[in-house]
Amino acid sequence: MERNTDTPESYVRAALRLQGYRFDQAQTAEIILHFSRIEAMAQIILQYPLPFGSQAAPVFRP
Amino acid sequence: MTGTASVVRQIRNGTHSAAAVLTQTKARIDALDPSLNCFTAKTYERASREAAAVDALRAAAQPLPPLAGVPFAVKNLFDIAGEVTLAGARVNESNAPAAADAELIARMQKAGAVLVGALNMDEHAYGFTTENSHYGATLNPHDHLRVAGGSSGGSAAAVAAGLVPLTLGSDTSGSIRVPASFCGVFGLKPTYGRLPRSGSFPFVYSLDHLGPFAGTVTDLAAAYDALQGPDPHDAACAQRAVEPVSAALALPAGIRVGVLGGWFQDWADDAARRAVQLAATALSATHTIELKGAEAARAAAFIITGAEGGALHRERLSRQFDSFEPHSRARLVAGSLIPASWVVQAQRVRQQVYREALELFDRFDLLIAAATPVSAPLIGADTFTVNGRSLPTRAGLGVLTQPISCIGLPVCAAPIRPASGGLPMGVQLIGAPWREDVCLAAARALEREGVAEVRLP
Repeated sequence: MERNTDTPESYVRAALRLQGYRFDQAQTAEIILHFSRIEAMAQIILQYPLPFGSQAAPVFRP
Repeated sequence: MTGTASVVRQIRNGTHSAAAVLTQTKARIDALDPSLNCFTAKTYERASREAAAVDALRAAAQPLPPLAGVPFAVKNLFDIAGEVTLAGARVNESNAPAAADAELIARMQKAGAVLVGALNMDEHAYGFTTENSHYGATLNPHDHLRVAGGSSGGSAAAVAAGLVPLTLGSDTSGSIRVPASFCGVFGLKPTYGRLPRSGSFPFVYSLDHLGPFAGTVTDLAAAYDALQGPDPHDAACAQRAVEPVSAALALPAGIRVGVLGGWFQDWADDAARRAVQLAATALSATHTIELKGAEAARAAAFIITGAEGGALHRERLSRQFDSFEPHSRARLVAGSLIPASWVVQAQRVRQQVYREALELFDRFDLLIAAATPVSAPLIGADTFTVNGRSLPTRAGLGVLTQPISCIGLPVCAAPIRPASGGLPMGVQLIGAPWREDVCLAAARALEREGVAEVRLP
């Protein structure tokens, strides 16, 4: 799938507003850089073949 | 270096009192630590009381516990009663002092060990170098121009410099194994869920492990035995009974040893590959095998860490961003923006790669990989290069440790004898779940053959 390179930046700006953060341009640019690295990692796991029914494994013991 | 076994023997036979051992330890810390910057707090008053209690036991001819009079120190994310738990962060300085010791400190104390202080770390454990902008960088005892590794850098460097024979640290993505490799000491990251984290400052609940550092495998095993046992206060603790290892450090006959190739070779430089080769030869490794999901496990760990760590600190990041560590605060904020579907996918990948790893353990008892892609980088280096590829230093030095902690396997990091004039380099001795005994026995075998060793700087 072709990816739009603008997407991480647009997403980060919107998500920062949604979460109530307020940063200046330099801070936002640094956050975008780090999110771009995270997004590259996400592409690896999103393409990893999994059985449809495989479950996550968080710990919850009521 | 005076190891745990030696200290206990001297106290038992009356050569030294616990108070005298403590006096020697304080003198060494006070002489060397101002240049190394391992300690962020010293708990000498408390240590004097604990040492006196050990000496009183001996004077009364009472049985001495296994770590009687052994000085130790802890990464400053462990609660110490009466001290503020910093977790390397200025934003925590105004928190209330801890009301009680962390569970693992209480267990060390019960075993007779004497707590002498708290140790430096990357802020909130989010880094691999212990370049802490608030409390200073911890220097590598073998080369003061280089990092000690992190995030448990103070814990590894304090053992490497001979300040204390035992320390405790934490490992979410490599924070015990990376500094153990750079500083040339032994470190144990047990199976996920083996040791309770009660009373420690959290980072990533899904991935946080605690464990010890030591200068010998015998000391490491003694500490590990003292730390084991169930604790209902940590939901992720597996509540297993103590499975002592100290009395059984011989490598089982016929043990099947494999070397991890693929990802683990691609991201290892010549020094790292040399260390793996030395360990593989000494342990009679028969095959090079591949954990196909290694890259995906590393990515899953990266996503889970970012999301959980970011969520944990989100509220304070929005109010006190400028007070957070400049090396990691933007990364934390970025993590707090990760979509939920990526986190769930990362957890599913984690489970899948764990199953792949279990298949490897049908054929092998122990797997070997380098602990770090390179030896310790220079302080201040923003990137490092492996086989022509560059990675960001503070986020990337765990490239070989992250896939393993992501799936919770036990690992002993063992310092391999460096080439002449070379820097320390460690290997990961990786066992099947709950087989810390195999990891430690392999480390002991390497130590006995002189392949693994801890050298004072």
